[in-house]
Amino acid sequence: MESTTLWGYELPFPRQDLYVALIAVASFIPAVVLVNALVHGVLNIGGLILFVLSPRGDTIIFKDFRGNVPKTSTEVFFRKAKFWDGQDGKDAPPAFHVDGVQYLHVKVGGLYWVATSRENVSPSLALELLMRVHSICRDYFGYVSEEVIRRNFLLVYELLDEIIDYGFPQNSSTERLKQFVLMEPMIVKPRLPGGAKLPGGATGPTEVIKSVLDTDRTGAKEEIFVDIVEKLTAIFDAQGHQKSSSIVGAIQIKSYLSGNPPIRLGLSENLILGRRDARALSSYGSDSDAVMLDTYSIYEGVSAERFDAERVLELVPPDGQFALMNYRSSRSFRPPFRVYPLVEDDMYTGDKLTLYLRLLAEYPATKTATGVEVTVPLPRSVVRVHCETDAPNESKLLALPGKGAFEQAADWRERDRKLVWSLKNLRGGREHTLRCRLTVEPGTVESTKRDYGPIMVQFVLPGKPSASGLDVRYMKILKEEKNYAPSRWFRVVAMANSYQIRPH
Amino acid sequence: MADGKYFSTTKKGEIHELKVELGALDKSKKKDAVKKVIAAMTVGKDVSPLFPDVINQMQTDDMELKKLVYLYLINYAKTQPDLAIMAVNTFVKDSQDPNPLIRALAVRTMGCIRVDKITEYLCDPLHRCLKDEDPYVRKTAAVCVAKLYDINAELVEDRGFLDMLKDLIGDANPMVVANAVAALSEIQELSGKPVLELTQATVAKLLRALNECTEWGQVFILDSVVNYTPADARDAEGVIERVLPRLQHANSAVVLSAIKVIIKNMQYLQDEGTVLQLQRKLAPPLVTLLGAEPELQYVALRNIALVIQAQPGVLANDVKVFFVKYNDPSYVKMEKLGIMMRLVNERNIDQVLLEFKEYATEVDVDFVRKAVRAIGYCAVSIQSAAERCINVLLELIQTKVNYVVQESIIVIKDIFRRYPNRYESIIGTLCDSLESLDEPEAKASMIWIIGEYAERIDNADELLEQFLESFPEETAQVQLQLMTATVKLFLKKPVEKPQQLIQLVLTYATQETDNPDLRDRAYIYWRLLSTDPEAAKDVVLAEKPTISATSDALDPSLLRELLGELGSLASVYHKPAASFVSKLRLAVQRAEDLAAAAARGSASGDSEALTSAVVAESPLAASAGATPTAPAAAAPAPVPDLLGDLLDLDVPAPAPAAAAAAAAAAATELPVVFGEDKGKGVVVRASLVQAPAGGYDYELSVSNVSAGVPLDGFMIQFNKNSLGLAPASQAVQLDPVLPGATGSARVPMTHAAHLQAPEQGNVLQVAIKCNQLGVLYMNDTIPQHLMAPPAQQQPLDFF
Repeated sequence: MESTTLWGYELPFPRQDLYVALIAVASFIPAVVLVNALVHGVLNIGGLILFVLSPRGDTIIFKDFRGNVPKTSTEVFFRKAKFWDGQDGKDAPPAFHVDGVQYLHVKVGGLYWVATSRENVSPSLALELLMRVHSICRDYFGYVSEEVIRRNFLLVYELLDEIIDYGFPQNSSTERLKQFVLMEPMIVKPRLPGGAKLPGGATGPTEVIKSVLDTDRTGAKEEIFVDIVEKLTAIFDAQGHQKSSSIVGAIQIKSYLSGNPPIRLGLSENLILGRRDARALSSYGSDSDAVMLDTYSIYEGVSAERFDAERVLELVPPDGQFALMNYRSSRSFRPPFRVYPLVEDDMYTGDKLTLYLRLLAEYPATKTATGVEVTVPLPRSVVRVHCETDAPNESKLLALPGKGAFEQAADWRERDRKLVWSLKNLRGGREHTLRCRLTVEPGTVESTKRDYGPIMVQFVLPGKPSASGLDVRYMKILKEEKNYAPSRWFRVVAMANSYQIRPH
Repeated sequence: MADGKYFSTTKKGEIHELKVELGALDKSKKKDAVKKVIAAMTVGKDVSPLFPDVINQMQTDDMELKKLVYLYLINYAKTQPDLAIMAVNTFVKDSQDPNPLIRALAVRTMGCIRVDKITEYLCDPLHRCLKDEDPYVRKTAAVCVAKLYDINAELVEDRGFLDMLKDLIGDANPMVVANAVAALSEIQELSGKPVLELTQATVAKLLRALNECTEWGQVFILDSVVNYTPADARDAEGVIERVLPRLQHANSAVVLSAIKVIIKNMQYLQDEGTVLQLQRKLAPPLVTLLGAEPELQYVALRNIALVIQAQPGVLANDVKVFFVKYNDPSYVKMEKLGIMMRLVNERNIDQVLLEFKEYATEVDVDFVRKAVRAIGYCAVSIQSAAERCINVLLELIQTKVNYVVQESIIVIKDIFRRYPNRYESIIGTLCDSLESLDEPEAKASMIWIIGEYAERIDNADELLEQFLESFPEETAQVQLQLMTATVKLFLKKPVEKPQQLIQLVLTYATQETDNPDLRDRAYIYWRLLSTDPEAAKDVVLAEKPTISATSDALDPSLLRELLGELGSLASVYHKPAASFVSKLRLAVQRAEDLAAAAARGSASGDSEALTSAVVAESPLAASAGATPTAPAAAAPAPVPDLLGDLLDLDVPAPAPAAAAAAAAAAATELPVVFGEDKGKGVVVRASLVQAPAGGYDYELSVSNVSAGVPLDGFMIQFNKNSLGLAPASQAVQLDPVLPGATGSARVPMTHAAHLQAPEQGNVLQVAIKCNQLGVLYMNDTIPQHLMAPPAQQQPLDFF
């Protein structure tokens, strides 16, 4: 009796089946809100207002789903976030509350994406949802910036109406949204000075600026991009010994295949997953060429069992960009760069030092790193800095202003107390030296020698093999159709996450 | 054509210009004009004067234009309720359009217009759309019922929408079913009806379904399963087994919720080995979360801080992954540092110390300070490393960076207190930095060190004299410390100079200062010194108990509560949800809305609208005014009277306050566990009390506030609770309670081992049954003083 009624209403089937019916097929939250509400008596998803704030604090998008959060929330949020802790420029934590209103935000694409609620919501859920809204926008517009959102703001409203209704997330996949959203995206070519990279341009296949809608509507080229992006963390001492290292990596895919055919990726066969396998490895000896991942997570819908057994990932790629796999490896890697700092006293004067930085590009000459930047913080005792790069004189002469034709440059940023040495392109096997004459306050020679650093290196280094050794052996597009040959792009990129040399 | 250009109109007379453009015959011009209006609306300009002009565009075949107009309508309908009526006809027409997208759009938009007059017209279209042939329309209509319920609950009940929603639960389309259920549960939440229980069978089905549903769905399944109490170890193991694969999910919300479920179920496991194995499995996913965006990392870190406080073993070997990266945002850096402090042990201290030292040279001042404190924490908590820590601190003092020096001196004071008479050799180095001290805490610390070791510092008197020069300007903290240090100096070296100093200090402190603490302490010293210097020595120079490592550890009961909330905001703030989420506020706001609506109603002479608004909202309004200590109207709810009063007043806003005041006066000393706001016509007050003969009694009072039936046949039962209490007899000795009357009873308790459930904390779930109302469920709490003994026995293994 009890089991066939729900709150006094008769159900056409046993109540237990309700849960199964609900969840087995449900493709979004509210199905489960039921269960949650039944148990807690509290709805976990409260009202959400989404607004995108530009860095100056203009509200670009404001969407109120519930009408239970005051209109002043945009100002309240911006004031609080901008002057967190009473200081300008300090990052506010992603979750805080003012007057009973919860503010959850992420900062991506140079914008704040904020959700508000009056409930004890799951912050990860809200933040992941905001990220999803961002990535849907990215799929639609090719990339996201203030200008892109402004130019497409009506379309963003239309999207939001489909993604969330009355605070319940409804539909968060780009290809389903395409069925209900009418407006056409307005593609904006990025306008960035000096051909600089897009924000986060190297973090994925985002260098292609193309809306997912292009695939279906204009019959544009079908293509799929697969990137292995690895962020390297390493700490070296002054002698160049690697004291700690780790890799945070991701296989990112950006798909423009019409009809979403399934794909199959085979990863390196000598892949060792987790610590369980790692023990097995130690019996082989640690110098084997196995690829070792400490932890990993894979895109939903990919069979983890099959991956575990065969190192094969099979999935139906959704439109647009997504991370197929995130992983972390603590196995030491061959460092692509080494920096050897050396400080010499000036024999004759008591207030001068010479700092030599020797930079070695220890990767094959077939690879070229871009955006290499070596940063040295210098203590307050340093008064003046004069730098000399080892670039040949001709190239210095050729470096015409505005053309950005410099090979390398060194810059003393006095306000941040940082010495920045940048090299636009760096071929593997090369070696460069920077010589800096430092003038210090009298009597601080010793303390300056002691207090400079740590030296940080930034870089983007495309090219196989990846630092972890992880590789995609093959990719098959499982579509039975003659002459179907979409372009397939593979790329491996290593970049610095926290690449430090500690001189002391 | 770019939308961006619509933002550029800032000229005067803009409204007029737009009005003209909206009146244009050319369709694309009109559309452009609407886009401009919405752009202006978005940046906060008031474009409400254009309301009629924009609404005129609504009747169009252009879906895109229609969506734009609706966007405008939702925003301004509330301020222009009379004009919004103009839109009704189009809505009704649209809800019958052959295009399902248009039908859905109409019903979705109507639900978002929170104007009473419109809601009446909403009923028919909604009725149709709930039975629409297209699932997209039905799923939209389902959510719309929840929207309507929020505006006018009575209407939903009267028009049978609840029954229709129920029918949708059997719908063939999952999206429809899901939204129908979401709407029903939302309505249930608003109306406060009893909840369903999770049985072993339902949980099993939920868990089987985990694989099939999306990331968002998984979070909610997991969040519900965590409330399920497994029957035995095997049951718990089964749950864990099903949930384990979720740890590999890319969505951090899924991972955190999965961990919550696993930790909850782990405590039911018997086998130590399995527990250890599981602990090891929890670490990698937590670590993987740190590869995500900084915002998600932050949430993960705050949760990790909770997990490792309860189970330090989980990440004992992973301190390395918490090493700070120079491009981490400061909120991430601070959290990582805090976690490193928790994970530091004899094995990793060298590595960690090296990191801390590195952090202490960064630019972010707050971070640097915390790093220095962390070094001090290591010294105090790991004895074998104390010396290494002190060496690092001394190196840091050498940098002469002001705030580093001051922070170092503060932590060195703590190290001295932890290891007395061991490291005084470094005092000389500390004294070199005297001049740079300008913060009260650092000064006070330095002065304490000087006083404590006055006999080993040759020029202690000179040093203190230096500080004394600015005595009147110092903060109370420094003054107190300075006075105590001078007394110590005098007692240790009773020679001429210290004698002068003590005279000076005590005179000032007793005569010149307004600070009672300082004055009183000065008097005590003065009397001690003048009557019995030996006694003074015994008091002032007495051996002090050594301190232990102080960390910002959470109270065990709070920690237990927060672990149950893993992955929620509570787990990020490290505060119970009640402290930052307030239902009350929401209700108050509704009351304000109501007042505004009523004011509008009376202004337009529409008194009928006012009446219906008040009738519909008055239970809410009453509960809005009621606080836990002032229960809602104890007397039989005088609904007609209240209404009469409200009508006389015209503006019903004061009503909740008046009701609350009346209720407060009638309140008895027992807390309300089942309020009138639940709508059952009964108020139950109850509390667990110590029985005179030992053991416990449950004191109970039942007020019948319903319209006419006496209540009888009371029975009572308890859910599992931490004290393992159960009523000695289920039948309650309570005479029938007549309408308007209150009956009281005292139910004796016995101990029932099978009901013992320590994880319930102070929660006491009670069910009371009577013949007329059926079963009423209520949540009570066990008073703190009754909780105390068992709470202490409880080991903090997992929770």
